[in-house]
Amino acid sequence: MKIKTAADLEAKKQAGLRKLQPGKARIAVGLATCGKAVGGMRVYERLREIIGTDSPDIDLSRVGCIGYCREEPLVNITLPGKPLVILHRVTGDDAEEIIRAVEKGEAPEGKALCRIPSWDHVTGCTFTYGRGFDRIPAYEDIPFFSHQKKVILRDAGLINPEDIDEYIAVGGYTAAQKALTGMAPDAIIGEVEKSGLRGRGGAGFPTGLKWRITRDAKADKKYIVCNADEGDPGAYMNRNEMESDPHMLIEGMIIGAYAMGSAEGLIFIRAEYPLAIRRLETAIGQAREYGLLGEDIFGTGFSFDIGIATGAGAFVCGESTALVASIEGRTGRPHPRPPRLTDIGGGLFGYPTDLNNVETWCNVPVIISKGSDWYARIGAKGNTGTKVFSLVGKVDRVGLVEVPLGTSLNTIVFDIGNGGANNKKVKAVQTGGPSGGCIPVRLFDTPVDYESLNRVGSIMGSGGLVVMDEDTGMVDIARYFINFATIESCGKCVPCREGLKHTLLLLNKILAKKGTKKDIETLAELSETIVATSLCGLGQTAPNPVLTTLAYFREEYDALVKP
Amino acid sequence: MTRREESGADTPKKHVAVTINGKKYRADEGETLLSVAIREKIDIPHLCYEASLEPYGACRLCMVEVVGKEKNEMTTSCTLRATEGLEIATDTPEIVKHRNILFELYLAEAPKSEVIKKMAARYGVKKTRFFKKIDPADLLGNKCVLCGLCVRACNEIMGAGAINFINRGPYTVVNTPYFEPTGDCFGCGACVKVCPTDAIQMEDIGGERIMKSWSNTRVPLVQCECCGKYYAPEELAVSTLARLDTPPKEEIAKICPECRGKQIAREEILAKRGGAAKHA
Repeated sequence: MKIKTAADLEAKKQAGLRKLQPGKARIAVGLATCGKAVGGMRVYERLREIIGTDSPDIDLSRVGCIGYCREEPLVNITLPGKPLVILHRVTGDDAEEIIRAVEKGEAPEGKALCRIPSWDHVTGCTFTYGRGFDRIPAYEDIPFFSHQKKVILRDAGLINPEDIDEYIAVGGYTAAQKALTGMAPDAIIGEVEKSGLRGRGGAGFPTGLKWRITRDAKADKKYIVCNADEGDPGAYMNRNEMESDPHMLIEGMIIGAYAMGSAEGLIFIRAEYPLAIRRLETAIGQAREYGLLGEDIFGTGFSFDIGIATGAGAFVCGESTALVASIEGRTGRPHPRPPRLTDIGGGLFGYPTDLNNVETWCNVPVIISKGSDWYARIGAKGNTGTKVFSLVGKVDRVGLVEVPLGTSLNTIVFDIGNGGANNKKVKAVQTGGPSGGCIPVRLFDTPVDYESLNRVGSIMGSGGLVVMDEDTGMVDIARYFINFATIESCGKCVPCREGLKHTLLLLNKILAKKGTKKDIETLAELSETIVATSLCGLGQTAPNPVLTTLAYFREEYDALVKP
Repeated sequence: MTRREESGADTPKKHVAVTINGKKYRADEGETLLSVAIREKIDIPHLCYEASLEPYGACRLCMVEVVGKEKNEMTTSCTLRATEGLEIATDTPEIVKHRNILFELYLAEAPKSEVIKKMAARYGVKKTRFFKKIDPADLLGNKCVLCGLCVRACNEIMGAGAINFINRGPYTVVNTPYFEPTGDCFGCGACVKVCPTDAIQMEDIGGERIMKSWSNTRVPLVQCECCGKYYAPEELAVSTLARLDTPPKEEIAKICPECRGKQIAREEILAKRGGAAKHA
C-alpha cells in the first residue's frame, strides 16, 4: 500500500505501535554489528528455541544498538504497563532465566541494567511504556546515559531497524510528510540554515548554505549523495546510525532532495559495513513499497529514489572528489578544488551534487519536525545540535555517546566514560581519527566544538574519540596513525605520498632508539610542509598526530633519542 | 597550439591584469597563473604541468602565495585561474622553505634522475635528509617522480590506455597491467616525450620498437618500401594515414618521410622539365 495522506501514515503508525507494544511480552535483542560480535545472535537463537517450544506467547524481535558497547549483548524486555527494561551482558545461558521471569510478568533483576518508563523519540510523541520495577535503576541514574542527549540516536536500540512500521510508530516520516506537503523548498533550506546545522563529516561547513548553493546551481539534473564511507580507526557512529535506524537517513535525504530539487540520491557506503548495507537495502525496499521513495511521493508529484554505491576499501574515498571518482568507476584520487561538487561539471557525472555525511542527513527530520528554534537551543552558539562520538580506547565505559556540541572532553571522558579502564590514569584523547590530534588531559576542559578543537591542534572529524592512558606511548600512537595515513594515501601528490612515508621512517627510527635530536627537528619541518602543500584534506591533516604529540608530549620524543 | 586554446578560439578572450612579484602582467581571464609565468619567463618550478592537459596539481612544486588582504594563502599556480587584480608572490620565505623540503623528497624518490638533481640544485638544494629509494630492478631507472604525465598522455591524448598507476600511496608505480607486455601500446612514444625526468626507456631494434620501461612491450614498425628503413610504429602509421581527408597516393603511402620528400622533389623537377607531375 502506498502512503499518500496523513491518514495513510497514521494507519501505518498504528500497525507499528501494535508491534512495539503487542499487548503481551516482547523481548528484543540488540543485533547491530557490535551486538553480533559479542554473541548477540547466540542469545537470539537460544531465546527463539525456548520460546518456540515453551512460550509461543512471547514476541521475539531484533533491535539496533543503544550504544553501551561495554555492556553488550543488550536485550530489551517490554511487558504491558511496565517500563522497558534493558538487560546487559546477556549470554545464551541466561535465556532460560529471562523467559521464566517474563512468563511471570517480571524482569530478571540480576541481569537488568536499567528501566525506561517513557522515552522521547523526538520526532514523535513521548512514548510511555509503564510504571513499576522500582528496584531496577532508572535510565537517568546510569552515569553513562545521564549526561547524554539522544537526538540522532533517538530510536537506536529501541525499534526494529528492519521494520518501517516501527519507525513510523515513533514519529518516522512525519517530518518528510510535513516538508513535502506543507513547505516550500526555500522554507526548508531556510529552516536548515537557521538551525545552524554544520557538516558532521568533520569539516563543519554550514549545511543550509551547501543546500542553497546546490539548489541555485542551474542544471537540468542534480544529485544528492550521502557519505557513509566512515573509515577512521575507532569510529563507528555512522555504522550504528545506519544499522539501528536506517529510515532516519532515508527520511533526511527525501527532505533534502525535495529542498534541492533532486530526483536521485546515492548512498556511498564502505563495503566493510555489510550489515549496514543490508539494512539500508531492506529499508529502501520498504520505503519504495510504501511509496515514500519513487514516483509521486505523498501525492505531491515529487519523485525521488535512492541507490547504494559501495566503496572498494580506500579511506581517501571519503574525500569528496575521490568519492565522486569512485562512484563513477574511476580510481579514487582527489583532484584540486574548484571545481567543487556543487559546481556544474564538478559533481557526480558532471552534475551539481550535494554531499553530506550520514549524521548530517539524520539531523534533518528532527529540524523539520521540531523547528530550527528548538534545534538551535541545543549545543553552543555556532555549534548547534548534538554530535555522536565513539568513545573507545583505554576508557572504562566504551560506547557510542551523544552529547550537545560544546560539551567538555572532561564530561565525555570522565563523567560518561568513567576515566581510564582498569583504574589507569588517562593521559590524552585523540579526536578526529588519523587526521586529528592528541589532546592532553590538562586541556580536557576544552569544549568539543569545531573551533575549540582546531585551537588545540585537533579537529572534530567524524567523531572518533580514542582514549590513551598512562601506559600509552605517544610516539607509538603517532606512528600508528601515520602508518594508517601512509597506507591510505592515494599516492597522487608528493608531500602526502613521499612525505608521510618518510615521517613513518623517522618515527620508526626514533622508536627503535636510533634517532637523534636532529631527526625530531626534521620530523617537525616535514610535517609542516605536508600540511601546507598537500593536495587534499587527507595529506593536509595527516601530520596532526605528530604535530600535537610533539607539542604536548615532546619529552617522550626526547627520551627516545640520543642527544 | 594547445587544446584549451583551440576550444576557446571561438569566443573572444577577455584580458585581466594580474600581479606577479609586484609587477603587472596581462593574462587571459581564466588562464592559469603558471601559464602566464611560463609565457613571461618568470621562474616557477614544475613537473606535472603540460599545456595540452587539464591541470593536475600533483607535483606541488609550483606553489605560490596568493596575496590577500589579511593573510597570504598558498596554492598551486597550475590550478590558480587569472582574475582581475589577482596578486601572487613566487618566492616568499614560506614558499622557499616548503619547496626546499619538496625537492629533498624528490631527491630521495628519484635519486638517479639528473634532471631532478639539476633542478633542485638550481634552487640551492643539493642534499636530502631523507632515505633514498634505490631499486635495481626499477624499470624506470629510479628516475620516476609519478607526475602522471605519461599516464595522462597515454590515456587522455592518445587514447591508448596502455599504462596506468598501479597500487597506491608510497607503493604507487606506473606500468602496464600486471607488468606484462601490452597490446594496447602502439609505440607512439608520447610518454617518452612528456616525461620530465627522462625516466622512460624506448629503443628501436630491427623491425621492432621496444618499450623497455613498459615491461618490454614490443611494437612492430613499418618498413620503408623504398630505402628499407623502419620508420614508424605500424598501428600508428595505419591509423594516421586513415585519418587524412585525402589519402596519399599508394606509391608514397608506404615509404618513409625522407624518401617521400625525395620522391616528391624528383617529380617536381621532372614536371618543371616538361614531364607530367604524377602526384598533383
